[in-house]
Amino acid sequence: MTQPPRFPGYDVLAKWDSPSFDDVTRDVLAHRLDAVPPRRWLTPDEWDLLDAINARLLPQPERDRPVPITPWIDAMLHDDRGEGYRHPDMPPLRDAWRQGLAAVDDEARRLHDRPFAGLDADAQDAVLQAIAEGRTASPRWQGLDARRFFIHHLLKTAAGLYYAHPLAWNEIGFGGPANPRGYVRLGFDGRDPWEAKEAP
Amino acid sequence: MSAAAPADARPLARGLGAATLGLALGALLLARRPATRGPAPVPPSLPLPHRPARAETNANANANANANADADDGMAAPRTAPSEPADAALPARRLYQAAALLAASVLSDSALEHYRGDFENPGMFAPLASAAVVLACALRGAWTPARRGRAPTHRPAPRTSAGILSGVPYATACAVGVAGLGFHAYNVLRRPGGLSWANLFYAAPLGAPAALALAGVIGLAARPVAAGAPTLAGLPSGRALCGLAAFGLAGTSAEAALLHFRGAFQHPAMWVPVSVPPVTAVMLAGAALPGAPGRRRLTNALLRACTWLGVLGMGFHARGIARQMGGWRNWSQNVLAGPPLPAPPSFSALALAGRAALALRAAQEGWPREAT
Repeated sequence: MTQPPRFPGYDVLAKWDSPSFDDVTRDVLAHRLDAVPPRRWLTPDEWDLLDAINARLLPQPERDRPVPITPWIDAMLHDDRGEGYRHPDMPPLRDAWRQGLAAVDDEARRLHDRPFAGLDADAQDAVLQAIAEGRTASPRWQGLDARRFFIHHLLKTAAGLYYAHPLAWNEIGFGGPANPRGYVRLGFDGRDPWEAKEAP
Repeated sequence: MSAAAPADARPLARGLGAATLGLALGALLLARRPATRGPAPVPPSLPLPHRPARAETNANANANANANADADDGMAAPRTAPSEPADAALPARRLYQAAALLAASVLSDSALEHYRGDFENPGMFAPLASAAVVLACALRGAWTPARRGRAPTHRPAPRTSAGILSGVPYATACAVGVAGLGFHAYNVLRRPGGLSWANLFYAAPLGAPAALALAGVIGLAARPVAAGAPTLAGLPSGRALCGLAAFGLAGTSAEAALLHFRGAFQHPAMWVPVSVPPVTAVMLAGAALPGAPGRRRLTNALLRACTWLGVLGMGFHARGIARQMGGWRNWSQNVLAGPPLPAPPSFSALALAGRAALALRAAQEGWPREAT
């Protein structure tokens, strides 16, 4: 499961004092790293359920301290700060999450007679797979497209938050914002000295 | 430790960049130095079988050795006598300075741009090496006669092995420049779209290797000029060099036009290098034609303006770098992606060559001297 790092030794935070970062970048990153928000909007059960779902969507077995995803979704729901639009067949942001989480849990109970968070990893994957493919049985999906909830809410939100974290940047060799310092070797396979170096 | 540390640019490249910029500035200062005209102790020598104009110069050179003691040398035209020895030595020195400055510009520019290209092709080191050698040789050529206080005018055209060898660095520069032109053309053509404006803007620049070849040609010409050869490539040397400098100025201006157009002429000063040098080039081209001298004062003034254009241009380019995102603190990106700092001095170099050519032509035609 754990593969050798693709960009060995790369630490994007080493750019902290270099021309690649400016005060805005530093402030945003410091907030992202140090100010992980507490639970405010989700119920404890919903929080545990969402945490269990995120652990299957983006497993991080190699990390002692996983990249936090659930706290930032809670913060988003607490602020009711969505993307500025919603699909016409989907409820508003908060309603969609509350209903969707409840439906996922109900789906787990129907398939395995236990709450989602209490299932083992394979059973959890089976539940999520069924939802992703639209093979749902729970009446709680009424007015909420299960596949769209999985792709558009669960998966995209989790991936967006995961890859906003510097640890994930190290994983994929991302250099952070190209501001103030951008790139000068713009051709294919061009690598600037301040860019991550991929393992051969 | 990581590739992202502040000292991220490779030390070699950084050193190279600093050294070449220093050399470019040094050469520039050198070029601005008034030519030393110390008393020229001319070793006794036989008059050489040159054209009459040349023989007269030599006679005057000999005369000048005694000029201080013996002021009324009836043979020398009064208006030209006192500074005749400089008539060949000064243009030769100017030509060496021009070659040195052009080589410094090519060296620093190709160092930066080929570093940006990550020396993808080992051949990309060639212009660095060649320009560095030309720079060193031309600086030596520019300094040696002055320091020894002796113009190397009393040797026949270089036919000795040493004479031929001394041309090797310049000939190599010509060859490297022409080869580079081929490589750069290939770089343009192999890109999607082939010969298109976008590729001329963003692919390898065609003018850069041409500048190296030009530095080589100027260096090659300096030696026979210093030796007093009346012709170059079958033309009177003054006229030939006027044509060469005019061609170089026009080409450099075309390069500036291309890149300043790419830069949308977003600063009014960007029009200067596409307006003044072409006019100068036309005037110089006129001076390359046989016949009337034309408006030499104007040509000379324009050439002086072009000389300063290089310095001024570097200033504007430095300001352009400062205006890029992150300014000079972000030099590791902006020196490469911003306006090229080493490019403008090529105007100074070619203007120096032009002034040398004009002075040479004046001397050869026996025109009245003017301050050059």
